[in-house]
Formats: sequence, structure tokens, C-alpha cells
Amino acid sequence: MIVTKQEILQGILRELKQALPELRSIVVASTDGLPIVHDAVDAPRVAAMAATALGLGKRISQTTDLGTLEETIVRGNQGYFVVYAAGDKGVLAVSAPADANLGLIHLEARSFAARLAQAL
Amino acid sequence: MEPLKIVVTGPVGAGKSTLIRTLSETEVVDTDASASEVIGKPTTTVAMDYGTLYLGDQLLYLFGTPGQDRFDFMWEVLSEGALGLLLLIRGDRPEDFGLARRLLDYITSRQPVPYVLGVTRQDQPPVWGPEEVAPFFGVPAERVVGLNAKDPRSAVGPLVRLLELMIAEGQIA
Repeated sequence: MIVTKQEILQGILRELKQALPELRSIVVASTDGLPIVHDAVDAPRVAAMAATALGLGKRISQTTDLGTLEETIVRGNQGYFVVYAAGDKGVLAVSAPADANLGLIHLEARSFAARLAQAL
Repeated sequence: MEPLKIVVTGPVGAGKSTLIRTLSETEVVDTDASASEVIGKPTTTVAMDYGTLYLGDQLLYLFGTPGQDRFDFMWEVLSEGALGLLLLIRGDRPEDFGLARRLLDYITSRQPVPYVLGVTRQDQPPVWGPEEVAPFFGVPAERVVGLNAKDPRSAVGPLVRLLELMIAEGQIA
């Protein structure tokens, strides 16, 4: 049986949802803002915004001597939107409620982002 | 003299990032990501470009937008407080003119702002010249300027025109 890249990525997405059931949505996109795999209703828009947030975050990190970007975090009073780099080609964006455990999300999402980077 | 914030927009590949890199007198802030679509170049702007230059005593802040429709939200973000608009179109891609015309209509109808159309790639014929593009867009000929975004003397042309028009219309002193 041939397993396509899309199926591998879908598998990783499913595992991430199991590892962090509190996540509201997950979008994996290309760094130029096109959705690849996701469980979000408005994925095209979220994918573009995630790529913008990551691209700008990288540049801010560089310009202000913060070193290599780990993630870009948007925190509203009702939750978080966190964007991680998945290698050079990909972006992992997750949305979580305000009472989510951000430390745990970082821990899991960073390791899943590394797996996605391999698969992309 | 107050600095002038100018937004540089237009379809993908029009030369927005190139123009800002050519003209900026300060280090350019760019946000390139590798392109996963076939767009005729390896990278594309995902958030913004930023550069500054003086035209005489007038300081200009140039804010470049991404080109793809999916980044349209950045237009609103970047156009906050903008006093002028430079819309770039590739003179050898008339198939993009329709999209560019919708972009211009969208922008000027939301927020009337002085604008100039820059027609790029004038150094690479066959290419549409500004006098051919103006009637297509239905705009006065003086609002359309041809340029080569890689040549500093040529690339500054549309910004000079924009300032002249703004002065003539009393928008700046």
C-alpha cells in the first residue's frame, strides 16, 4: 500500500488532536500561506494569516536580536493562537481556549512541528 | 515636514519588493517566504516590506503589501494612516490588469487616497506603456507612470509624480 504525503500529514494532525484535545483548531500551511492539512472551517484565511504571523515574527526576532524564532503567540481574552515553524517550508498554527495549558501546548506542538517538517 | 506614509501594492510579481529594495536608503524590512505555487520567482512577500527614502526634504515611508488575494487582510493593516498609494502592475502581464483594476477600485472606494499607477518592466519589451494602460484603467494619463523597478532613477519616477500630484491638489505643502 502506498501512503501519500497527505495521508502522513493527516495522521500527524490526528495524533496532535489526540495529544491536545483542548485545541479548537489546527492548521498546517505552507510558509507562503496555503493550507495543507487542517480541521478548521476557515482554513484558507487562517493559513494566510499564520504565514504572515510567522514571517513577520521571524523578521522581528531577527531585527531585535532575539535569535531564531520559536513561535508567534497571539493572546486574546478568550484564547490563544500560536504559530510554530515546521521546518523551512511549513507552518503549524493552533488555536486554544484561554484556560489552556500553554506550556503543554508548546511542548507537544514543537515536537509535532518537527515531525511535520520531516514529512513536508 | 511630516513624513509621508505610502503604501505600495499590486498583483504578485509586479515588483513591489524590488522597488522598495531599489529605493530604500535604510535597511529594508522584508518578509519573504519560499513560494509553493508557480509564480515565476522563488520567494514571495507574506507580511510586508518596509523602506524609507527622502525626496528632497520630504521623508517617505514605503510599506509594501503581499500580492496574493489571500493576504488581502494585510492591505487594511498597512493602509492605516497611509497618505498615498502606488499601485504597481507588470506591463508585460495584461492578464493581471483586471485584478489590478478591481484592487484600485476597492482601495479608492473605501478610502479616497491620492494614487499613481506604476507600469513595471518598461526595460523589457514587448510591454504595455503607461499611455496604453491609462485608458484601460479609466484614469487620467498623468496618474500612470512607466518604470523599471530595478533602476533607482526610473523606480523613483512614480513617487515623484505622486508627490507632484499631491502638491498640485493641496494635499501636502
